[in-house]
Order: sequence, then C-alpha cells, then structure tokens
Amino acid sequence: MNGFMGPDLAGTLATWVAALATIAVWSYLLGYRRLFVLSQHLLAGLATGYLVLLAIHDVLVPRLVTPLIEHPRDHLLLVPALALVGLLVGASWLPRRATAPVGAILVGGLAAFALGGAVVGTILPQLAAALPATAVSSSDLAGEVISLAITTLVLLAFLHGAPRGALTVRAAMVGRWLLIGGIGGWLGFLVVSRLSLLVDRLAFLLGDWLTVLR
Amino acid sequence: MTSPDNVARLRRAAPAVLLLVVLVVATMLRPGAGTLRLASPDRSHVDQLRQAIGDLPSEALVLIACDGDLGTYPEIRATTRAAIEDLGAHGARLAIVSFTPEGRAIAAAERDRIARSGAAEPPADLGFIAGAEAGLVRAVSSVVPAAAQGPTFDAIRQRGGGIGAFDMVLIVSGSDISARSWVEQVGPRLPDLAMITIAPTFLDPELEPYLRSGQLRGLLATLREGTAYADAVTSGPAADRGPGIAPLPMLVGMLAALAALAEAASRRLARRARRPSRRPMS
Repeated sequence: MNGFMGPDLAGTLATWVAALATIAVWSYLLGYRRLFVLSQHLLAGLATGYLVLLAIHDVLVPRLVTPLIEHPRDHLLLVPALALVGLLVGASWLPRRATAPVGAILVGGLAAFALGGAVVGTILPQLAAALPATAVSSSDLAGEVISLAITTLVLLAFLHGAPRGALTVRAAMVGRWLLIGGIGGWLGFLVVSRLSLLVDRLAFLLGDWLTVLR
Repeated sequence: MTSPDNVARLRRAAPAVLLLVVLVVATMLRPGAGTLRLASPDRSHVDQLRQAIGDLPSEALVLIACDGDLGTYPEIRATTRAAIEDLGAHGARLAIVSFTPEGRAIAAAERDRIARSGAAEPPADLGFIAGAEAGLVRAVSSVVPAAAQGPTFDAIRQRGGGIGAFDMVLIVSGSDISARSWVEQVGPRLPDLAMITIAPTFLDPELEPYLRSGQLRGLLATLREGTAYADAVTSGPAADRGPGIAPLPMLVGMLAALAALAEAASRRLARRARRPSRRPMS
C-alpha cells in the first residue's frame, strides 16, 4: 500500500525482499546481531553500487564523455575539468604539491557557496524579519516584540567567556531555559515523527506483504 | 533447549516485542470515522500552501525538487502525493529534478508509481544534477538535459531553460539539499520565484523562520499538518496515495512513550531518595 511495488512478479519479489529485510533488522530487538549486521552490509553495498551507477549513467557519460566525443570544440572547459578530476583521482600517488591546489579549489568553492548563501539568504533576511515592523496591528506588534525578546535572550545564552554583569547572567539563564523548553518541544515532535515511521513499516508488513489490511 | 543466556536475552527484549505486538493489534483495529483524528485542527499552514497553489496561473510550470531522505520519506509520502495530485488538479505542468542520489531514487519510484496508476501523466524527468549547492546554482541558468524532448521541456526552454522558467517550486525536503539550500542559493538569485516545501518533522525548527519571513510561501513540516492537507485535498484517486498513518497506533505509541518517560523519571527519583545526603554533619 505504499504504492511503490506493482502487482507483477517484480513487485511481489520486491515486497518479499523488503519484508524480509525489515524482519532481519528487527531481529536486533531479540539480541540477534548477525542478521542485523548482514542487513547493514547489504545496505552499504547496495548504496555504493547505486552511487557508482548513478555517477556513470547520470553524470560522467551524459555530461563529460558524450560532449567531449560529440562536440569537443564546444566544450573546451571540460578538458581542464577532466585534468582536475584526474589529479584528484590520483591524489594518493601524485605529489602533494600537484593535488593540494585542486582540493583547495574544491573545498574553497563549496565553502564560498555555503557562506555566501548563509549571509545573503539567511542571516540578513532573518535579522530584518526579527525586527518588529511599524505598520502592524497592536496584537501582531506584541507578538513580534515577544519574539524579539526571546531571540535576544536565547542569543545571550550563547555568550561564553565574555565579561558579564549580574543582569546579563540572569538573562542568559532565562535564555538557556527557553532554549531547553524549545528543544524539549521539538523532541516531542520527533518522537511522533519516528513513531510514524515504525507504524508505516508495520502497515507495510500487514498490508503489502501479508495483505491482512486490504 | 533454553539456556540462561537466551532467557535473559528474551527478558531484555520483552518490552520492545510487547510494544510491537500492541502496535500490530492497534494497526489492525479500525476505529469508527471521526473517533480519532490525526489531522491538526490548526489549518493556517494548510491554507497558506493551498492558497499558494491556488494562486498559480493556468498551465503553470511547477518544478518538484525531490530531495527527500529514504529514512524519513514515509512520514511525508502521503503529503507529497497529495500535493502532486493537487497541482495536477490545478492544471499545472510538472517537472521533477533531484540534487541528491537518495532524492533521485525517490523521484524515479514516484514517477513509476504515477505512470503505473495511469491516472495522470508523470512529471517530466529532469534527472539528477550533481554538485550539491554548486549544482543548484548552475540549475538556475540551465536545468533541462540536452537530449530531453517533449512539450514540457520545450516550454521550459522557451522561458529560458533554467529554474526561473517555473512559476513555483515544490521542495520535498529531508536530505542535505533541503528547502534551506533553496532559500539561500536560489532565493537571492530568483526573488520572484514562489517556493513551497514539504519536510519531515526534524526540519521544522530550521524552516519555520523562512515561512515567517516570507522566503517560503508554504510549509508542511509535521505529520499532523501533512495529514490535514492530505484530508483537505479531495481531487484525484485518493486510494492510490495509500492509507496514510493510522491514528490509533500513533496514540498507543505515544502512551507507551509517556509511560517509559514516567518510569524513567520515577526510577531516577527513587535513586535520588535512596542516595545518602551529602550535607556534612554538624
């Protein structure tokens, strides 16, 4: 009933494999580690094989090999890109001076994307959103002021090592308790979330596999 | 033959096995309609998302960014399917893309399911784009595979060929590339693009501020909101979405969790009461 498996032979086989894998993982509840460890190895092996196939089928062949073979003049930038990939692949036996700049470009590029996005997409808009707007009704304004106060108190809870007065220490303590309260509420939601995954798996076993729920 | 080890092992496993048995019974019992409801009574998030979809122009191009996590996708599966049906019912032309390998697996499975059901045309497949956030930024200018053919692909190409060609993006979150990545990387580059998201509960605290600041037009990030939305969407073959999460086993599980919490707390209190006082004797 999760809809992924069809009624044909392949779907039936997939349902059986999924059901047996679920039971193998749950055998850990009874203290039987072998089936559980076997399931872990199966998952790791399948995930690795899937990633390799995806990389070849969806990335390397259509975006690198095919353009270079069919229209090499239109994709000249792929040649140095290919050389950089070769340097990364041979990092274990090539001199460090040759491979280090490639790794640095890769890490630096990703960090720049993440940092730039965090500043422009999160910090600045959220700072603007945290400030109370003047053109709102009094009830909304009260809510926004409370939100700003909570944000300030929680931020104060993260002050470590800075010189503090008695008032700041008390405010930080209030902020810490607010933080704990928020995390507690979030954990409650998480319990519901994880429970729903267990209930879904039970429904799969009873509905799709044993067909008791149909 | 039962060795003492086996008996001890079974004794340790007894509470978990008992809980499983109780949950199985609760799953099989079907309480009467309206007796137990999982759907959230607060419909503000549901209304926001439905309004965002309702505001779409006719024959709008909508991109489904399917980057869920295999572990948590069952929590949002019914909601995601309801949203795809809702978009289809509003006449949207859908395309699907993934920026994570897990998301690609889910997207392929969902396309297969829709094609098998025959109720609707599966979303146009834009495939998997590698490079994580760098790939996301590259997709802003070019998202259609060179060899892709079809009316939806042509419509995207006519509007520029990138993410900006779409009227809205439905982000199925859960993995590393979540709605936050979209807000941070795509939002500043395409400020007029409407973004709505369906996310598992663990992402709710991270994404809620983006909804309040208006960077997201809609967000469904708890099971109860998702159930309320799926209940509200009545178009299409609802039976194909599956039965969703049953409320009775959820109630039983929550009571079991509360009982475990109470038992742990009482054991801690009893241990503290037995502990000798550390106050020095005068």
